Amino acid sequence: MNALTGMRGVFALAWRGLRRRPTRTALVVAGVAVAIFLVCSVDAMRTGVERATHRAASETALVVYRQNRYCPFTSQLPQSYERAIRDIPGVRTVTPVKIVVSNCRASLDVVTFRGVPAESFAADHATQASPEALAAWLARSDAALLGPELAARRRLRPGDRFTAAGVDAFVAGIIESDAPQDQSSAFVHLGFLQEQLKRGGTGTIVTQFDVRVDDPANLDRVAAAIDEKFAADAAPTTTRAETAHVARAATDVIALVGFAQLLSFAALAAVFALVANAIVLSMRSREREVSILQTLGFTQLHLGTLVVVEAGILGTLGGVIGAASSYAIVGLTRTAMTMEGISIAVPPSLGISLAGIGMAIALSLAAGSVPAIMAARQSIVAGFRS
Amino acid sequence: MVTTEPIIRCHSLEKHYERGGEPVRVLESIDIDIARGEFVALMGPSGSGKTTLLNLFAGIDTPSGGSLVVDGHDIATLSRAALAHWRSRSVGYIFQLYHLVPVLTAYENVELPLFLHGLSGAQRHARVAEALEAVQIADRYSHYPRQLSGGQEQRVAIARAIVGNPSLLLADEPTGDLDRAAATGVMDLLARLHRERGQTIVMVTHDPHTAERAQRIIHLEKGRLVEPLGAAR
Repeated sequence: MNALTGMRGVFALAWRGLRRRPTRTALVVAGVAVAIFLVCSVDAMRTGVERATHRAASETALVVYRQNRYCPFTSQLPQSYERAIRDIPGVRTVTPVKIVVSNCRASLDVVTFRGVPAESFAADHATQASPEALAAWLARSDAALLGPELAARRRLRPGDRFTAAGVDAFVAGIIESDAPQDQSSAFVHLGFLQEQLKRGGTGTIVTQFDVRVDDPANLDRVAAAIDEKFAADAAPTTTRAETAHVARAATDVIALVGFAQLLSFAALAAVFALVANAIVLSMRSREREVSILQTLGFTQLHLGTLVVVEAGILGTLGGVIGAASSYAIVGLTRTAMTMEGISIAVPPSLGISLAGIGMAIALSLAAGSVPAIMAARQSIVAGFRS
Repeated sequence: MVTTEPIIRCHSLEKHYERGGEPVRVLESIDIDIARGEFVALMGPSGSGKTTLLNLFAGIDTPSGGSLVVDGHDIATLSRAALAHWRSRSVGYIFQLYHLVPVLTAYENVELPLFLHGLSGAQRHARVAEALEAVQIADRYSHYPRQLSGGQEQRVAIARAIVGNPSLLLADEPTGDLDRAAATGVMDLLARLHRERGQTIVMVTHDPHTAERAQRIIHLEKGRLVEPLGAAR
């Protein structure tokens, strides 16, 4: 008999033992699943924040906002700034944007209307929408091109109409974009949006300018030049890289996600404690069973493996259920955290799910290791006396 | 079929415990030879050391002194792993309280030791069926221990003990928890196994009627042999 002979029996015994103590197994698996669901969901939120706020070396997008204003309703800039910004060396494109949100507070379901000049937007986004959608959008003044997350969340298709924030629009199409800020946006004609709102005079006031520079190396220089140009104006500006703009607007959410991550670490500790407690209690009530197995000829390696395998199965089941639930719910709900018109999509991620399962298995195996050593070292005679 | 070759040979065997700093002498100067194929009963009052001696024979406890050779193996010199391996091949153990694994069916309990023999599923199935047939409980193979009577549980435990064809069958008060009818049935079964298979059986009991079914009775009192050579039948 080599060391591995009998391992099939160990696995069979572990599986049968768990299956035939269904209440205990279900409770432990449910506990692990809830914890891993929390861990994966929070990590998906963290990933969304990371993607939306991490400045890449290739970033070329700037957002020009009204100085010391922190909400789309209070950031009001003259549309005439567009030409002045375009004249600054290094600027490739400038898009005046009027933003209207259905909810200015942090929320998981916000529609951000972005009023943009039709011709320049059509030229800049020609590759993101089908020719039919773009033609339909240009043909109608009340047409909207929707971000993919918004369309999925509200189940909108081309030809539908929808209303949000008092704006009634026709869905001309759905754009294809990975950019976080496009996900919950509805791009409409700038004049249409200004007309709908009747605020600040038709065709003169916008919320922000979206600027593209020709070279990432010029990003900070161009931002400084824009702010310097309007420093003495009646409407001074603050210009930031788009990711920095998102990070500023999403400060509260980032703090909340950071705190939620602490909770998820606590959840991981709970997984360890839950499995360890379940296994220790189980083995304490099964000291006689361990002695029976020892009497039959099962070795210390067999018994240690039995305990670790039981813990591993509990962790694997809980991990798979928790991670799959998180993946499904995050994917189905297409959640986006939105505040001040800024959207942070919460993306479902297979990598996060696999990592969650891996963590559950690793923690469960670690949690089972001490009871495994205890079971392997147990005296046969003492076990029968228990 | 009794041969002259001893399967168990112990000389000056001792077992001491330490309790509260004081040594407790459980077995002292035990000299016994048990022949292969013999059916022996160990008798004595509670605390006389019967079960401890049986545990030493099974290698689930270790002697404090003297020598103990079982089936050619010097028990005191074997490692824990080697003892486990030897037990899986050579020893079948029957407990007073049956000690079946509660979450396994009768079939699975009997199959358990065979996993250590590296047999295929079909081979295991054949051996389990044969063992359950031998103890006349084949119709209960899918029952859990809680669904069996005491006598039936003990039959399953005996099937588990014999399924690996061990050279030595050790039984600790096998009828101690059974009513008279069930006890008679279990003793008939052990006698039949001894008669038909030539199985060496060492049985602990405090019941003289049960002990009478053995070929030889060894009496223990306060850890010592008082009648080392019981009457042969």
